[in-house]
Amino acid sequence: MVNRIENLRAPLLVSWQITRDCDLACLHCCTDSAPGKRLADELNVSEAMRLVNEIVRNDVPYVMLCGGEPLVVPHFFRIAEALGAAGVELKIETNGQRLDVGIAERLAGLPVRSIQVSLDGDTQAVYERQRPGGSLDKAHAACRAIRAAGLPLEITFAPTCMNLHEAAAVIRRAEALGAFRFNTGKLMRIGTAARLWERLEPMAGDYRKFRDLLEEQGRILGGRMEFCYSPFALEEALRASLEEPPATLLVLPNGWVKVAAALPDICADLRRQSLDEAWEAYRGAWRNASVLSSVRRAIGSEIHHADANHWRRLAVSQV
Amino acid sequence: MGDMKVSLQGEKTEQEAKTEKVKPAEKLNWETPKMEDVSEQVMAQPYIRFT
Repeated sequence: MVNRIENLRAPLLVSWQITRDCDLACLHCCTDSAPGKRLADELNVSEAMRLVNEIVRNDVPYVMLCGGEPLVVPHFFRIAEALGAAGVELKIETNGQRLDVGIAERLAGLPVRSIQVSLDGDTQAVYERQRPGGSLDKAHAACRAIRAAGLPLEITFAPTCMNLHEAAAVIRRAEALGAFRFNTGKLMRIGTAARLWERLEPMAGDYRKFRDLLEEQGRILGGRMEFCYSPFALEEALRASLEEPPATLLVLPNGWVKVAAALPDICADLRRQSLDEAWEAYRGAWRNASVLSSVRRAIGSEIHHADANHWRRLAVSQV
Repeated sequence: MGDMKVSLQGEKTEQEAKTEKVKPAEKLNWETPKMEDVSEQVMAQPYIRFT
């Protein structure tokens, strides 16, 4: 069977972590982001704009700008506005701490499909426990600014044993704030979350209750807010990827391209290669026996996801 | 990217740079990615959910 990616000239989505720097130090973070965690070799503005040109030239229709916190990057708007001016649709993931009315109004001029704000609690105490240094009021204000500017608001919720008791309240809050989608799933055992796993992992019974809640709320609010939680676990996503690899390039802050979020394997370097070449290398990686073996291993147990941020380049012969 | 061309006009900045889309001949029959092919699931990005 020929996978869809073998027929596509370019990816459908580029998920671009434009920095590892962040203004919060969240316990559940899957990218090891925190204040001062900017990588020494992150793409500079001219390299980032070169990648923008590559994305446009290759007709990539959808780009997600994330991090870290993308709004801490000084050239965030140069990237977003250049992509938007070329008609590339955007999703922006933010913690909302810096997203004020002015920023929302500026983003409203772009083809934005979603601005995703993380709400990992409905009280300041719970929110701040999971997102040290974070202000829930600021996150809520960001959501209101997004809606006031006419932009589509999406809420994401990272479940842990610290915040699951507030999940229902966060769902109600998301609906009241006018979110079009509530996005969640099992906590990913990657990055900071992997290091703090014993402090964060919800009990199996709590996950069952959470899924029941999502199903119930999906029935009640389904017409007003979409619920997205499938695949629930990263292992399920990986299993689906074996059948049909996602037409997605995961671009790291230094321009490296990851084969999959749960794997450490790097198949291309966009500082040195064109997006065209990176796409070819990505498609090759999903045909590579060693990579497929790593995927199966990651499907076997989430404990194998813990080294996903210890990136390693695949040998040229492997891609 | 050997046979792809990017033409920069005059002294324009990178943001203003006009991009000429020239596809390699061997890829002319390939499927061009389209927004309508981006599924809801891809839009929600279940692969990197929690940053």
